[in-house]
Amino acid sequence: MDNGIKFQEYTESTYNFEECTKCTVCTAFCPVLQVNPLYPGPKQAGPDGERLRLRDPNFFDESLKYCLNCKRCEVWCPSEVKVADLIQSARLQYDTTPPKLRDRLLASTDFMGKLARPVAPVVNAVTGLPLAKTAMDVMLKIDRHRTFPKYSASSFEFWLKRRRKEQAVFSEQVAYYHGCYVNYNYPQLGKDLVKVLNALGVGVQLLDGEKCCGIALISNRLTKEATKNAKHNVSVLSKAVESGLKVVTTSSTCTLTLREEYPSLLGVDNSAVKDSILMATRYIYEKLEQGAKLPFRADFHKRVAYHTPCHMQRLGWGIFSEKLLRMIPGLELTVLDSACCGISGTYGFKKENYETSQAIGEQLFSQLRAIQPEVVACDCETCKWQIEMSTGFPVMNPISLLAEALC
Amino acid sequence: MNPNEFDVIIIGGGITGAGTQRDCAMRGLRTLLVDRSDIATGATGRNHGLLHSGARYAVNDPESAAECIRENMILRRVAAHCIDESDGLFVTLPEDDLDYQKSFVQACRDAGIRADIIDPDLARRLEPAVNPDIIGAVRVPDCSVDPFRLCAANMLDAKLHGGQVRLQTEVTGIIKEGNTVKGIRTHNRNTGEDLDFYAPIVVNASGVWGQEIAQMAGVKVGMFPAKGSLLIFAHRVNNMVINRCRKPSNADILVPGDTVCIVGTTSSRIPLEECRNVAVTPDEVTLLITEGIKLAPRLSSTRILRAYAGVRPLVSADDDPSGRNISRGIVCLDHETRDGIKGFITITGGKLTSYRLMAEMATDMVCKKLGIDKACETAITPLPGSEEGSYEEVAKKIWENPTVAQKAAAARMGSRVARIRSGDRRDEALICECEQVSMGEINAAIDRLEASTLTDLRRRTRVGMGTCQGEFCACRAAGLLAKAHGCIEKERADIDFFLQERWKGNFPIGWGDTLREAEYTQWVYKHVLGI
Amino acid sequence: MRFDTVIVGGGLAGLIAGISLQKAGKSTAIVSTGQNALHFFSGCFESIQEAPQQVLDIFNEAGIRVHYKPGVRLMPMGTFKESALSLDDVSLFPTPQFGKRVLIINFMGYHDFFSSFLAEGLEKQGMECRIRFLTLGELTQPELGPNEMRAVQIARKMDDVWEKVVQEVRVLLKDEDTVILPQVFGLKDASVPTRIRQGIPAQVVFAGTLPPSVPGIRTQMQLKKRYEVLGGTYLMGDRVTGAHVYQDVVQNVVTKQLDRHYLEADHFILASGSFFSKGLVSNPFKIYEPLFELDMDYNQDRNTWYNPTFANHQPYMGFGVKTDANLQPSRKGVPVKNLYVIGSILGETHPELGSGAGLAIRSALKVTELITK
Repeated sequence: MDNGIKFQEYTESTYNFEECTKCTVCTAFCPVLQVNPLYPGPKQAGPDGERLRLRDPNFFDESLKYCLNCKRCEVWCPSEVKVADLIQSARLQYDTTPPKLRDRLLASTDFMGKLARPVAPVVNAVTGLPLAKTAMDVMLKIDRHRTFPKYSASSFEFWLKRRRKEQAVFSEQVAYYHGCYVNYNYPQLGKDLVKVLNALGVGVQLLDGEKCCGIALISNRLTKEATKNAKHNVSVLSKAVESGLKVVTTSSTCTLTLREEYPSLLGVDNSAVKDSILMATRYIYEKLEQGAKLPFRADFHKRVAYHTPCHMQRLGWGIFSEKLLRMIPGLELTVLDSACCGISGTYGFKKENYETSQAIGEQLFSQLRAIQPEVVACDCETCKWQIEMSTGFPVMNPISLLAEALC
Repeated sequence: MNPNEFDVIIIGGGITGAGTQRDCAMRGLRTLLVDRSDIATGATGRNHGLLHSGARYAVNDPESAAECIRENMILRRVAAHCIDESDGLFVTLPEDDLDYQKSFVQACRDAGIRADIIDPDLARRLEPAVNPDIIGAVRVPDCSVDPFRLCAANMLDAKLHGGQVRLQTEVTGIIKEGNTVKGIRTHNRNTGEDLDFYAPIVVNASGVWGQEIAQMAGVKVGMFPAKGSLLIFAHRVNNMVINRCRKPSNADILVPGDTVCIVGTTSSRIPLEECRNVAVTPDEVTLLITEGIKLAPRLSSTRILRAYAGVRPLVSADDDPSGRNISRGIVCLDHETRDGIKGFITITGGKLTSYRLMAEMATDMVCKKLGIDKACETAITPLPGSEEGSYEEVAKKIWENPTVAQKAAAARMGSRVARIRSGDRRDEALICECEQVSMGEINAAIDRLEASTLTDLRRRTRVGMGTCQGEFCACRAAGLLAKAHGCIEKERADIDFFLQERWKGNFPIGWGDTLREAEYTQWVYKHVLGI
Repeated sequence: MRFDTVIVGGGLAGLIAGISLQKAGKSTAIVSTGQNALHFFSGCFESIQEAPQQVLDIFNEAGIRVHYKPGVRLMPMGTFKESALSLDDVSLFPTPQFGKRVLIINFMGYHDFFSSFLAEGLEKQGMECRIRFLTLGELTQPELGPNEMRAVQIARKMDDVWEKVVQEVRVLLKDEDTVILPQVFGLKDASVPTRIRQGIPAQVVFAGTLPPSVPGIRTQMQLKKRYEVLGGTYLMGDRVTGAHVYQDVVQNVVTKQLDRHYLEADHFILASGSFFSKGLVSNPFKIYEPLFELDMDYNQDRNTWYNPTFANHQPYMGFGVKTDANLQPSRKGVPVKNLYVIGSILGETHPELGSGAGLAIRSALKVTELITK
């Protein structure tokens, strides 16, 4: 048979869908399938459905929108089928209905942040009002149970720009992709990161004008806008990487988007920058492994439960956050059984998903109620909103915990 | 009236037999069709599933070509739910002679086949899977057709017109009085029952086995069995039929069909006694892949689902060792005039695309002999399932917001899908997930389409035809069959047989993901289920 | 990151090796490309004819309830298979005649449990069978959709309502001495099958379903949890893509997610499974081990890989990585000094170690012993 022609040495297919052996592992671990009977499940929506869609795009099924894109199917798949990518790309490719106004609003984190920041107190007060919540619920179908993240009066970018000189004195430098949340809603996380990195002798720079990573745009099918952001971000990231900088992040979802979703779902080539984008916990862990030291307080004490966000699980980097937290003297750590919190970015904000979202999160919430931690640690801001809203336990990014534990 | 007496008996449940039964039944005859196993088990179900435009025959066999295009256009109307109007390309590769294209197009036009020379760039855009190196392309009205569905629809319509169908019924003898055929002796392979059936006319439509049947009647029909092997790839790589624009040769057609695509065929003469058990050889697999890659390079790294072979029922005419240059024309033999045997007709040769015409010719002969003057209506009357629009329209009419499985069922059953709608959501339970076949559809096939084994179900519903090749659905469907016919023991044997049939097609291409799947299936059946 | 031992593959073999090494005070990491064969585990540790205390200890400490009783077990299609060491879910009998009258319970609309096949199989053994269906919707709201009637989805519901099932069965039970239930109980809590047995005044037998296997998934979760409690690092959803080997010693392995962050160790264990999990890879020309390109024990002629009869032994399933008596492999004939091979990637190259779960456990323990010696 070996007549010089090397055919069938390996097989390839879109997102590996042909490597699916129909073993059903993904269906056993899909959080949506457990609570929403309208969702056909990852196997049928993903690799099974793909064969039919290749036959005729009319086999696209609207119920694919119930996929959270938590990517747990990909984590559990023994065959490395990119099940969630199959589902998301099918939505981008075949769903022809125009995205709703509500979805556009929810997805435009960057735009909304810019708009809201100068009038933050007003916006915060209004979005918190019962009347406004009802109005959003009725008119926009944004669930009334949800609390919008508060907008900060002053942006993180503004704060760090004023400290450009003091950051420049450090001989080692990193660029920080802070994302919308840190910039508009919670600059404190960024400040915590600066504190920790400075303690390691590393100065922090902004990128040359980052934009929203675009995950919310992708999940609301605003492909054009998402691609625009992606191209922009890759170009500013390239600039930083070319000048020899590593790029650190504090949001697992932004990181997954920058590293994985850009090439995979948007077709934007990020190969020049991908390896240089690291979660801050990984960056710091690697520094400490190489011998760097952090000045920890002696009197720190906290009982912490670590929740691995779905996208952190998909990145496979939960280990860095976990090991880092274990290094903090006085921090008593429980690692929770990895389970989706149910919010998945803008998904949980939509009225039609609220119940699904809360039902999915129950597996996580019940663990927390049993453990009663002082603080829940997690690397994702939307998990933070969901866990705080649903359980009342305060949630902190591991970086903030680290900052608090330093002298 | 004796229930064992009919106006006409048709031997053979392939497309020719089923088509003939339908035509006879529509002209008011009392018909019986028998087959030793199931519908579409011979050449009918073992080909590309290509509804020829006739282009392939245009140069060498203009008569067949003209026949094909006429039938192609008719079947698009009357068998819409079995046909995917995909169109086809005849592509010229750098190693092919571009001059052939000219004579090819001329021949097509002479035969009445629309053949448009298009820019290779346009061809690459229309069909991104096509070999990018092509130097020429012609667009023709080729289609793909599901032969099982087509055959089942014909059989169903015959039944709706009062016809009787007896499957698993082997003909053991032809009853003759002197030189007149009076009926058939049969043996039911399921029940062991031996029955005789009578009719003034017996039609031999048993394909490559027609020689044996003819022998029973005392006449000689020399078949020319030619084996053709094909490969099924696990998903649709192409959406248009891709042909090589050259003299017909090995593995030069790639046909998209339902969720898969099929490349073929090879051609080699085999002795008649091997027809029941043809196997694909490693050399044929190599040839099919090597040639297939030239049509669509992506095939070199696409998962292969299975390999299978069929036997073309050609009537031997000369000593051509390859069998390629034989006319695929229709052979309709009146044994009364040919051999002096009354009441016996053989209809053979031809091809899937021209089955309707073959049926019409045979039925015309039957009617003439019976003195019945009724026109053929099969060219204008849609088959059951093909009466109403596209599957999307059909599905939307029944379900406001059809699920994938409902759409898939509509694509398979056409308008007949309305019959599987029930108030009970449990009927929507998916038995086969790869091909999205629900319990309702399976039960409908058991009730109305004479399916009594898993293999029968596979032909009628695509259960077990998908990626996993029956890993889970075989036992689920076996449960339903067992419930329907009430015999577990038989169903156990049925599962074994089904798995063996699947494996037979898997191991010749047993590597990569196919081997992973096979290993998993071994574990599930041997270690988990205990079969 | 540095460990004493890095294990490639997180199935039964990898987990047993990981747990026993952690118990011996070694630090280990397991890299697992998703779920593994435990996902369709029958509940019986095949090819184990003895029950070493060491094995029982590992299971007991993980909260996995096993019992050892050489005999036969009931298979989901109503046949019997010789078995010895099993999860508590699986009943073991001295002979196939384990009862006289049997009540078989199934759920309406559940096609993955073969009650009629079970009945026929048991009737062949002289038992009298009655099949009754429970309606899931009457036990739990909201009802599962028709396509969620799969073992794990039902099991999640059963975690909350199994007591209701016990009540229903008690009502249905007439003069039967045995009740057969599908294996959809105790996904979260391994004690549920035992508690169901206590609640029903008859012998209760759990018969398997189509995958996913509820006892298998539970077992995987318990072993993983135990491994993590012992301080092991389980990297789920990552894949080892390569290794650096220097002077016949593996220096580190590279994973897809950790990319430049290599996993270093003194010892490496390859437990990456057979074809299904891509521990072995095949194409038309060869079968190979993709990570280290280890020497293989197989016949290169593809025509010898298969038996044309599905039911017969398939030669390809016997192929495996070639190893010495210490389960150490070689590359181009040169032994790799700190690498060990365990589990199904060995194929049938070490028949003395058994097959399936038995091979996984025996080879894992053997290698642990060699590493800790």
